[in-house]
This record gives sequence, structure tokens and C-alpha cells, in this order.
Amino acid sequence: MAELRLRDVRKNYGTMEVLHGIDLDIPSGEFVVFVGPSGCGKSTLLRTIAGLEDISSGEFHIDGILMNHVAPSQRGIAMVFQSYALYPHMTVFDNMAFGLKIAGIKKDQIAVRIRQAADILQLTPYLDRYPKALSGGQRQRVAIGRAIVRDPKVFLFDEPLSNLDAALRVATRVEISKLKQAMPNATMIYVTHDQVEAMTLADRIVVLRDGRIEQIGSPVELYRRPANLFVAQFIGSPSMNVLPGTLIDTGSRSRLVLDAGFEVTTEIATDATLRGQIVHFGIRPEDLRLTETAPLFRATISLVEQLGEVQLTYLERPGLTEPLIAKLPGHLDLRQGCEIGLTADAPNFHLFDQHENAIRPVQAGQKIAVPAE
Amino acid sequence: MNMISPRSFWGGMSQAFLWALLLAVGVVVIYPLLWMALGGFKSNSQIFEQPFALPEQWSFANYLSAWRGVQGYMFSSLLITVVSTVTTVFISAWAAFGLTRTPMPAKPLVTAIVLGGMMLSPTVALVPLVRMLQSLDLYDTHWALIILYTAFRVPFTTFLIRAYMLDLPRDLDEAAMMDGANPGQIFRRIILPLCRPIIMSCIVLHILFAWNEYLFAMIFTNNPAVQTLPVGLTSMMSKQGTDFAQVFAAMTISALPIVIIFFLTQRYFIRGLTEGIGK
Repeated sequence: MAELRLRDVRKNYGTMEVLHGIDLDIPSGEFVVFVGPSGCGKSTLLRTIAGLEDISSGEFHIDGILMNHVAPSQRGIAMVFQSYALYPHMTVFDNMAFGLKIAGIKKDQIAVRIRQAADILQLTPYLDRYPKALSGGQRQRVAIGRAIVRDPKVFLFDEPLSNLDAALRVATRVEISKLKQAMPNATMIYVTHDQVEAMTLADRIVVLRDGRIEQIGSPVELYRRPANLFVAQFIGSPSMNVLPGTLIDTGSRSRLVLDAGFEVTTEIATDATLRGQIVHFGIRPEDLRLTETAPLFRATISLVEQLGEVQLTYLERPGLTEPLIAKLPGHLDLRQGCEIGLTADAPNFHLFDQHENAIRPVQAGQKIAVPAE
Repeated sequence: MNMISPRSFWGGMSQAFLWALLLAVGVVVIYPLLWMALGGFKSNSQIFEQPFALPEQWSFANYLSAWRGVQGYMFSSLLITVVSTVTTVFISAWAAFGLTRTPMPAKPLVTAIVLGGMMLSPTVALVPLVRMLQSLDLYDTHWALIILYTAFRVPFTTFLIRAYMLDLPRDLDEAAMMDGANPGQIFRRIILPLCRPIIMSCIVLHILFAWNEYLFAMIFTNNPAVQTLPVGLTSMMSKQGTDFAQVFAAMTISALPIVIIFFLTQRYFIRGLTEGIGK
């Protein structure tokens, strides 16, 4: 059981600041995933929590105890590295026993703990092998086993699946999921740039960009209610389609004219002060569907990527600077050059202001400025 | 009709040429050693009359009397080589660990100073070293050579081990740190075992150096009980300059340990020197 609290945590390398004041609370037993593009600071944040990087300023507490100057091994944290970081000259058993031997735990207790972890991770037949004689997935399990045997309060995973092939990645992801279920009290922090891992594993996702937190929320919340354009485009594959336009009607329903040459009416309420301003309209590829009756817009197919169950359809029309993507059922006969009509349900529309922040649907009781006629 | 393609003809020719070249190099290297070892079995007169013939009698008499002459030098060489190898490799490995894997202010400067020691010519340092060792009462002792061999070989050995350590993934240190290991434990239990190939290379290189070193051994030792094999052999040659059979036997005895060590460790030696080159 461990509760983590970060307050205004900053990290500098010389004059370059890479973490710009991170505030984050992670309750005990939660599985939190840090996601973000390369260089966003997610691994630095993880390493700061681990104690492998010093905190330049701010405070980091575990269970209310300040950890800024506590050695990594004293924080009650175990970490699984991207490269596995197994000691190549030690057997699987010795790899898992190393930390326990350093801690001065008795041999018979070490053996018991390792047998238990090996059983959970199905590593028992490999305990006498060296890492070079194991497959990538087995090595990753050893790395996880090495973390488990120390019985830490917090588990840190630094992109643990990125060196595995696609099939093994899915299998290991499921194993990590099961591991979390088996240890409901363990707090886990997981860094990845793979949003499928983030969506499937996380209780909460922390989206980072340029050393700042963009949004914290459950996977569904981030998907359905992104706080800004960055999160909207980062979560979801393919990315959300974003079309610039001008807000022409505000109030409880908003109407906008898009640069792509069609109008959209959303159920998102907007303040009268926004009338005439440039906004961004967002719609996810999977929320678009084919229709021939009263389509939202018509477009020409420029490319079809058939994935079997679905097909990614790239669409062009005058006024579009980038192709729109629609995720349509795989059985449809869609050909390059065909013109199709598409529509979507209004609740799936997203609206972002000129600062790229989401314009939220108005809550009950909240007043909207009525435009002066 | 069978045709030999030009490619296979020239391929065969180049293969044959390569074999011939390797054979020639092998003969050039091995034959003098073999000739010297065979000379130890011959009588002095046969060496001059039939220099390229096999010995008439395979007698170990020359080897036995040569052994009596060199065993004191052999002991000194063995002692100085073993102790200076241990000190050199240990100090260099620690230094390389510090230079590659610990936070240290002005690390590039410290690295430059340590590795800059390779530039120091032993000949230039002779006079001050004589004065220094005399004032420390170490002149004409085994310690004089142990200290000098260690001091002059630490920069080069550090250079080799450092290059190897730079290629070891830093994640290993961090994993060990997370496991609770302190820097000493990381060095002893993780990094040092992983550096075994380069350590083996450094040991072999140092043994070759210390066993054959002549300049320091000649300048800093006078007492035959302290002198090493290269100096001992020289004095033996001046004393028994006409008994070539015994001199050859003594030379063979002194070269034998090095040849054996090199053949036993050449696999590690080559691995250690090449593994740091790339991934």
C-alpha cells in the first residue's frame, strides 16, 4: 500500500528544464500509465520517482514521507526496465535473488520467495538458465519476477514491452494485467508510448507533453472527453480528425462553418463571446459512418487501407489540407476515386477553442451568455 | 566439358596465397623459438657445426644447469609479475569504473590526466625515479619494480578497461542500485564479472610486459636476489658467453611460461580486445 504525491516537481539538466512543475496524486493500489510522445518527459518523471534522477525542485512523498533525498533502494520501489537489465552473468534464480541477498535476507527465505514468484510467472523450469538462453518474453518475465520478489510498495515499468514482437507484446500485456489483479494493493506506474497498452492497462492515464501534464483521467474519459486538441489527437488510433472553422452561432447549440466547406451544428453550448472566432471541430474516424441520406459532408476516397474487420478510408475534398480518415466496416466495397457521403452523431462531436482547449458541454445550472441581437 | 570459371580459379589462387602467407608468417615466428629450444639440447660444438640439425642426443643436462642458474631470477620475475599484475588490474578496473560509471566533477579532465600517463616516457622519468626510490629506501627491492610496473601500466590498462566499460549498458547499474547495491557492490558483483574478457586481456598484456621488461629492472636492481629474468639472462650471457647451449636452455626456460600463458588465454585475449569495438 503506497500513496504517491508529487508537488511542483521540476527537473533541470543544466539550464534546460525538462519537467515543468508536475503535480500528481496517485492513490494506493492504482495502476497509472504515463503516455506521451518521445521526449515528453515521461521516462524522466518515472526515473525521478525511482530516485535514479534527482529532483531539481518540488516535493515527492510516498505515504506522506518526503522522498527527495532518499536512495532508490530505500523508497520501497521496484523497477522493470525497457532493456530488462538482467545481469547476464547470473542465472535466473540469482538475478531474482540479487536484491534479496544485498538486503541480507536468509537463503531459505530467498528460495521460498523466488519459488513463489517463479510459479506466478511460469519461470520455474528456467531458474537455472542464464538470460542469454531465454526468449524476449521470458526475459521480461524474469525482470518482472525480480521486481516482485522484493515485495515493493510501488512498481515502476519503463516501456517494458517495447522490445517484444507484436504477438508477445499482447501476451505479456495480459500477464501484466493479471499480475495487477493478483496484487490489488500494489501501486503501479507504467510508462509507454503505446496507447493500446495505456488504454487496456490503466486505471488512470497521465498524458504528458514537453514536461507538462496535459490531462489526467480514466482511459474512457480521455477518449471521450479530451481536455485539449493534443490529448484528442494523441489518444485514439487513427488520430481524431480535426477541421478548423468559424463559430457562427453560439448558445445551447453551436453552429460552425468549416474551412472544408460544410456546416456543422453541435450540441456543445458556447459562450456568445466566442461568436466569430476560429475554432477546431473534431470527429474520430470510428464515429464517422456511411450514409446517402442527408450526409454531414461528401468526400472522395483517395486511399483505402483494408484491415479485414475495418478499412481505413482516406478522404479528400476541396478545402481540406489533410485527408480525413474514416474507419468503416471492412465488408463494404469502397474503391479509390468513389465519392461517398458520411455522417456522425452529434454527441460524438468535439469542439476546441482557438487556444486548442476543449469547449465542454455546459453543465446543468451553468449560465451561458446570450448573444445580443 | 568442364570449365573452371575465372572466379573460382582466382578464388582458389587467393585462398592458396593466403595459406602460403600465413604459413610463412608462422614459420618466421615459430622457427627461431624452436631453434633456440633445440639448441638447449645440443652440445656447444654441435650448435656451431650443425646449426640446423636435430640434437644428436636429447640431453636435459643444459636445461638442468640453466635452471640452477635462473631459478633465483625466475622467482623474482614471478613475484614481481604476479603482484604488479594484481595491483595494476585492480587499480585500473577501479579507476575505469570511476571514470565511466560514477558522477564526478571535471570527469573529462581527470580522464585526460589518467590517460595522459600513457604519454610519459620511462626513459625521461628515470633520473627522478632513481632519486625518489632511493629516498624511499625502495631502491634495489622487489617493491621498486612492482610500484614502477604498476604506475607505468595503469594508464594503458585503464584505457582498455574504460573502453570496455563504456559499452556496458547503464541499466545494469541502475537495476543493481534499485536492488540496493552500493557502488562497491555494483563494481564487484556486476561490472567486474562482466569485464572478465578485457580483464583477461589486460592480465596477459601485463604479464608479457612485466616478464620481459628490461630497462627498469636493469636500472633499479643490483642484487641478483632481486633481479628479474631479462637482467639475469644478460648477466648469464656475459658470464657464460661461450656456452651457447646453456644460454639457449636458459632463454627457453624463461620464455616458456609466457608462451604457455598466451596459448592458454589467447581465446579470452582476442575476445577482450575485440568485444569493445562494436555491438
